[in-house]
Amino acid sequence: MKRIFFALMVGWALVAVAQRVTVTEQSRLLPVEGPAYYPVLSHDGEQLLFTSESTQGLNLYDFGTRAVTRVSDEPGAGYGAVFGGDGSIYYVSQERRENKLIYRTGHRYDQATGRSAVVLEAQHGPMQPVAATRGGAMKSRARNYSSAKAVGTAVYTQGSEVIIDIAGRERRFSPVESWAGYLWASLSPDGQRVAFFAAEQGIIIIDLNGNVLARLGNYEMPCWYDDNYLVAQNTTDDGRQFTSSQILLLKADGTYKHELTRPTSMTMQPTAGGGKIVYTTIDGNLTLMKINIQQ
Amino acid sequence: MKRFYFFSLLLMALVMGMGVKAAAQDMPHIYINPGHGGHDSDDRNVVVPPFASGDTAGFWESNSNLWKGFALQEVLRKKGYTTSISRLANQTSNDLALSTIVALCNQSGADVFYSIHSNATGAGENYRINFPLGLYRGPDNQPIVPESDRLALELVKVLYQNQSTVWTSNYATRGDWSFYPQWNNQGLGVLRGNNAISMLDEGSFHDYIPETYRLINHDYDWVEGFNFSIGADNFFGYSETLPQGIITGNLRDERVMRTATYVMHGADARQPINGATVRLLDLYDNELATTTTDQLQNGIYLFKYLDPGQYKVEVSEPEHFTQTKIVEVTANAVTYCNFDLKKVRNTPPEVVSYSPVWNDGDDPVLCNTPVVINFNWDMDIPSTEAAFEISPAVEGSFTWEDTNYRLVFTPTDAYDVNTHYTVTVRASAEHAGGTAMEHDFTMGFTTQERNHMAVTALFPREDVAVHYKSPIIELRTDAQVNGLNVYDNFHVYDKNGNELGYNRRQLKCGNSTSPYGFVRLPMANDFNVGEKYRLYVERWVQDMDGIHLAEEIDHEFVAVDAGEAKAEQVIYDGEQVDGITTGGSNVNAKVTAVTTHLFGSKAMQLAYEFDAEDDEPVATASFAEPLEQQFTAGDTIMLHIDGDMSCNELLACFEAVDGDGDDFDLSLGDIDYHGWRFVKCPVENRGTFRLKGFAVKHHTQGYAKNMGLTGKLILDDVLWSEGEIFESGVSETTLAGVTVQPNPSSDYIVASAAGYIRGVELYGMNGQLVARNGANYINVTGIAAGTYVFKVYVNGLVSTHKVVVVH
Repeated sequence: MKRIFFALMVGWALVAVAQRVTVTEQSRLLPVEGPAYYPVLSHDGEQLLFTSESTQGLNLYDFGTRAVTRVSDEPGAGYGAVFGGDGSIYYVSQERRENKLIYRTGHRYDQATGRSAVVLEAQHGPMQPVAATRGGAMKSRARNYSSAKAVGTAVYTQGSEVIIDIAGRERRFSPVESWAGYLWASLSPDGQRVAFFAAEQGIIIIDLNGNVLARLGNYEMPCWYDDNYLVAQNTTDDGRQFTSSQILLLKADGTYKHELTRPTSMTMQPTAGGGKIVYTTIDGNLTLMKINIQQ
Repeated sequence: MKRFYFFSLLLMALVMGMGVKAAAQDMPHIYINPGHGGHDSDDRNVVVPPFASGDTAGFWESNSNLWKGFALQEVLRKKGYTTSISRLANQTSNDLALSTIVALCNQSGADVFYSIHSNATGAGENYRINFPLGLYRGPDNQPIVPESDRLALELVKVLYQNQSTVWTSNYATRGDWSFYPQWNNQGLGVLRGNNAISMLDEGSFHDYIPETYRLINHDYDWVEGFNFSIGADNFFGYSETLPQGIITGNLRDERVMRTATYVMHGADARQPINGATVRLLDLYDNELATTTTDQLQNGIYLFKYLDPGQYKVEVSEPEHFTQTKIVEVTANAVTYCNFDLKKVRNTPPEVVSYSPVWNDGDDPVLCNTPVVINFNWDMDIPSTEAAFEISPAVEGSFTWEDTNYRLVFTPTDAYDVNTHYTVTVRASAEHAGGTAMEHDFTMGFTTQERNHMAVTALFPREDVAVHYKSPIIELRTDAQVNGLNVYDNFHVYDKNGNELGYNRRQLKCGNSTSPYGFVRLPMANDFNVGEKYRLYVERWVQDMDGIHLAEEIDHEFVAVDAGEAKAEQVIYDGEQVDGITTGGSNVNAKVTAVTTHLFGSKAMQLAYEFDAEDDEPVATASFAEPLEQQFTAGDTIMLHIDGDMSCNELLACFEAVDGDGDDFDLSLGDIDYHGWRFVKCPVENRGTFRLKGFAVKHHTQGYAKNMGLTGKLILDDVLWSEGEIFESGVSETTLAGVTVQPNPSSDYIVASAAGYIRGVELYGMNGQLVARNGANYINVTGIAAGTYVFKVYVNGLVSTHKVVVVH
């Protein structure tokens, strides 16, 4: 038994040292003025969504034109916004009414016309935009919305379930125990695996049948960099404020981890797409990073 | 009729049910974050007995936060709210990252986010406070998420109504950016990006130890959770979301105080009742519920979910009288009902021990000895103090200890010396239960012959000149000074009344091996030349027995530059010591040239160590040859002395030239000062003299007999000048403020000065000493009529006066 364990350790170590990651570019996104948070890169890496510290409003940055477009001014619009596979942007706004309850409204922003449309009327309770491979959707407790009948594959979390919707067939999985709930589900670029975060467990990789393929550790906000790697956030706190925060590169099979930024850098909220990585800092400085991975 | 009654009830239930349902359709969703957990590094453990450090059964902020969270979730669900909670256990794995908690809250679609915490001062043990604080994201009064400030306010207002605790100030709400300015607007992690109306509650201060004990109690935590639900109701404008109420309270002894030394405010100073049985009764005394307070010094009890109406709460505990109160419970509210229990005291009070225990023939007691009387019961303070007598009467104060079982009487100043005192506690003294003693109690003691600490030497004395550089304050006493209260009692003020600081690291105090008591305080900074300063020593400077000074010291002195350039002729500059030999009797002495100097680059140092057994120890430093300069009567010798407060006498030794007069030693005064001093003294002897050296003479009697057995005397520039001549050849140098009267005199000549007079001498006009006294007067009734010179030694200087004796 000891020999097997030793062989496994040596094998893992060889795999671990077999990768070599170098940062080839790391620069502030200067066209973005003011503190910016919750960045989301499009799949091709050509566009970036971001918002303010309070998630009020939603902005779209185009790497080609270096222009920033205001998508929405509404409260909450910047939290959880996604790029749909159809090129539209799906987001949820929120409003507090006289009864002091929060009502959420689903929106679709058409980049071609530059206009937003309400796709799910205001309702009390949770609502989240969901990216699909060929469109977008809105999921809420009472009613849902899809941009088309067939939006391809979409993944998201609700409570302690990860939901995988393939061609309108929804399957719910709870592959690991997590009382507090699941978060941050995303589909790998090849569409074969799902990464999500389970509170108390960390980042989990499953296949489309809900089988656990890997556990990547207790990090947050996983986002696929390519089919083999993800970026994630690693924070520590003292119960009241953050004491460290960094961006990690994680291999999807759990065999490799690399620190892209130092723990003291207070970098957070990573997103990836099209070979780019974008993250922000605790004081809202958006940074573009490019890396090279040698196998 | 029965059918009508049934339908009426059904209709009423439907109406009420519809009301609840109507609300339930759109009831708020509240996300509960019971703080951080795990009994680990980001948790807070306050160690209180009986729990050891790290014992998870003791106080941990994560424990109490979780219990509050459970209670809140339980009550909110009963009220129809939707709830989510971020943890259900207390392991490190449940201690979610702040950003994860925020994301879970946002995904849940919650309307309100409560993060439950308790506070700590983070200050020293003597600073403890307790009040509820609500924090929201953003600057004060400008919440990032609108209404969050209102949510915080509605909560802390309810928490502040908790009467089971003791609040030290009113509730507060703050924006976290303003409250934590050092975090540069980063604020609290669980509020960053949180889209719900959100706040972090610091319900009370867990490092205020009485509160620590309460927070260990689950019932107390449950009530805070319940109060959160009231806060939520108030925020959303709901009322009576729960058709039931609760009763809770705190049991304390009505007068017995806690014996602990931690900070206690208000009623928390009184002893909580552990292990009391609390029964809930209806008005017909039927028992509805019962509970028992724990053993953890909090006295908390709780009855949950009671229908509105009147109840009786009965509290019993073997050492206290049973007490019952009628209380009113209202729906969705807390009824607070505290009890102050009266202790059972079933025998008359009596004295069980006392001190000082003194019998005829015993050694006298210290003149500050407190009278301590221990009773068998906690005593009633007014009647006992009124029953206390001490004879002869002496002013003093009472203190009570051991929860009023012990009375201590301490004299304000001191008892008289060599006096027998009788103490009586008359039978009118009562214990706290109101029963008086059966008999008078009497004790007695006799005091020692010393009741105050005496000042044997002081620098600076009143009006003396103090060299401005590196000044030192020193008090010498007849007993070792207790260094603990020195800083509180020694004060030096500048001319504007500003108190000056000391170099505390260089403070020196005598210890048990010192031959005399002293405290030496180097000033932190130099004085300003020409300015007046004030020395104020409070009378509470004590020796090791607590005996203090008889009176305070309060006088002025002036700063000078002793190294000011002089016009007179320098006859020895101290730059070299070649040829100077040391001698004397029973002394080890050595002369060196040292760099401590006023002029040039060096000065002469005479270091000496006397044999304490020797009767007349003297150390001398003699030039190889007497100096060239000749002195005649009326000339003045002047020199610069760096004093070490040896209190030894310094003498200039003169040798007659070619037999013109007799060799003599001229006193330059006692070295009862620190730092440089310019001293001048007239030569009064008839003849022609040359300076052959100096001598240091130890006092074997009087104030300085234990001082100066070792010393280092440093001399720089010695000068000569011609002085004014009396007709008889004796010069008169009168110091300001020194008066001598009457003059002429037939019985006593008395000197007075603002400063301390160490002695007086009477010389004949031929320079011969006629009389000397260590006091301030000389009796001249036996001295022949004539003209004399009267010398007054004051503040280390000599004031010389011409006086006439008549008969």
